[in-house]
Amino acid sequence: MEDEKFDCIIVGGGVAGCAAAKVLADNNMKILLVEKGEWTGSKNVSGGVLYGPTPWEIFPELKNTLENPPFERFINRRRLSFMSDDSSFSIDYKSQKYDNVPYNGVSVLRSKFDRWLGEQVEESIAKSDFAEDSFVATEVMVEELIIKDGKVCGIRAGEDEFESDCVILAEGVNSLLTRSIGLQKEIVDAKYVATGIKEVWQYDQDLLEAKFQLDGLEGVSNEFVGCTKGIEGGGFLYTNKDSISLGLVLGIKDLRDSNETVYDLLDSFKDHTSIKPLLKGGKMVEYSAHVVPVGDIDMIPKQLYTDGAVVVGDAAGLVLNTGKSIEGMNLAMESGRQAALAIIEAKKKRDFSKASLKSYQDRLSESYVMKDLRNFQGAFHFIHNPDMFKKYPDLVNSIMNDVFLVDGQEKKKTRDIIKKAVDESDLSYWDLMKTSIQGGLSL
Amino acid sequence: MSMSVKDRLATNKTKLSKKPHITVETDICDTTCTHKCTTRVCPAKCFEIVNDKMAFQYEDCIECGTCLHACDQGAVSWKFPESGHGITFRLG
Ligand SMILES: Cc1cc2nc3c(=O)[nH]c(=O)nc-3n(C[C@H](O)[C@H](O)[C@H](O)COP(=O)(O)OP(=O)(O)OC[C@H]3O[C@@H](n4cnc5c(N)ncnc54)[C@H](O)[C@@H]3O)c2cc1C
Ligand code: SF4
Ligand code: SF4
Repeated sequence: MEDEKFDCIIVGGGVAGCAAAKVLADNNMKILLVEKGEWTGSKNVSGGVLYGPTPWEIFPELKNTLENPPFERFINRRRLSFMSDDSSFSIDYKSQKYDNVPYNGVSVLRSKFDRWLGEQVEESIAKSDFAEDSFVATEVMVEELIIKDGKVCGIRAGEDEFESDCVILAEGVNSLLTRSIGLQKEIVDAKYVATGIKEVWQYDQDLLEAKFQLDGLEGVSNEFVGCTKGIEGGGFLYTNKDSISLGLVLGIKDLRDSNETVYDLLDSFKDHTSIKPLLKGGKMVEYSAHVVPVGDIDMIPKQLYTDGAVVVGDAAGLVLNTGKSIEGMNLAMESGRQAALAIIEAKKKRDFSKASLKSYQDRLSESYVMKDLRNFQGAFHFIHNPDMFKKYPDLVNSIMNDVFLVDGQEKKKTRDIIKKAVDESDLSYWDLMKTSIQGGLSL
Repeated sequence: MSMSVKDRLATNKTKLSKKPHITVETDICDTTCTHKCTTRVCPAKCFEIVNDKMAFQYEDCIECGTCLHACDQGAVSWKFPESGHGITFRLG
């Protein structure tokens, strides 16, 4: 296939790359999807809950898989917990409104899920006019982009070179190729990225369902604030079919400036009184980690396209952090779709120049991806107030402790409880007022 | 509940390349770097101080990218393992 030119080469078989490849193959484009792992997804890590309808739109076959889905569980119960060292306070919401396809969110294990996505891309290829000429190539690491006359026109992997009219960079956050052509800064500042560290614990499925009160395919997601010793970030626990994913997401700049060690932080999270009993009867079956953009719009390159190339997903820093959860996978898939649609138009015009591929960025701006990112920047900066990761969770727990305390003494009125808790924290009423006003405005 | 990093890593499958994909200029670690943060932030414990000197090994690396972003001293040269090598997660 060396001397065959592709319409488009997609670098990276994660959710963004698979989504782009699927849309391209469905529209009869001649493509090459390149993944360095053993299979699509084999090197990928998410929490992870994949939210919203985008995956169901790009991969409508998903709804025929419900007997044995490539995802784990649909999420119809969401918990947000505020942790102090010895207590936790949770908001818990469950609704049958989330019980129907397309689900509001599904938990996924990426090595399984992305593998299925890759298989779907192959099926779409098989149905296209290029059944013999389009490929999904695994265990191929792209080392370099081929650039001629300032235009990206292919890839090099070892001795092999492949040419194409354009390249979609779906290589994830460790975006060496995107950086090599200046679409992203060569050095991405630590303040824009976090490290996610994760364990998967497996259970007998009945035990898991009893422990987490699950019926059938339903599942629960739980995010935690206050479990990171003051470091920017939080914890997560998601139920899979017969396992749970739990871990921490920790801002790399804060980590650097602290004295904390990532696995010790994970251990202390797992030792917390509200987590430890959940692990009983389970077995740790996988340990993983991956960097993730923190959701700061300033990390996103001003220009997501150049002559012959566009950048999508984490490589472009497209992660939404609303404080309730991280949305990276759905944004990655949507950006992959918008890139594919722009390239289909470019092919019709036979124009893969910068000016033509700009339509990708225009489309993205009009989609929920950039709209949500713009609308939630206030929320992002609000929750990135350092007090949010320690002082406020401590304050909430200190109040709740007194609310529920029965100690043989005269009970305190709620007003006095709050006053005492605030006096004992190093937060002032001014901090609280400022925070509640900012919170009200931004969330 | 606490498990050693080695034991945790033993749950993974890695096809080791003979060529290190990450190299570290340990002179920088041993001289100008004051925080040595990679010894704390690498989830696979690839950076360790042994006899007061930085010792880096790539064999346990799970390709997360943390050191690529955490080192602010320019000591880390970071690449992915060559085609067909490195970590494979069964679950991910
Ligand atoms: C701990 C953690 C928890 C998270 N939780 C959530 C969550 O709950 N919900 C959510 O929506 N998001 C979550 N995210 C974010 C989400 O994982 C990312 O936003 C998403 O994976 C981005 O998808 P992507 O396809 O852009 O990149 P990736 O998934 O990183 O895929 C990139 C692909 O490119 C391949 N690749 C890279 N370079 C090359 C090369 N040179 N040659 C060949 N192949 C290459 C990689 O092997 C990989 O398959 C979480 C992230 C982490 C780390
Ligand atoms: S942060 Fe960089 S310079 Fe400092 S010890 Fe780690 S690798 Fe070395
Ligand atoms: S990429 Fe991750 S696992 Fe590998 S050495 Fe760097 S921090 Fe450690």
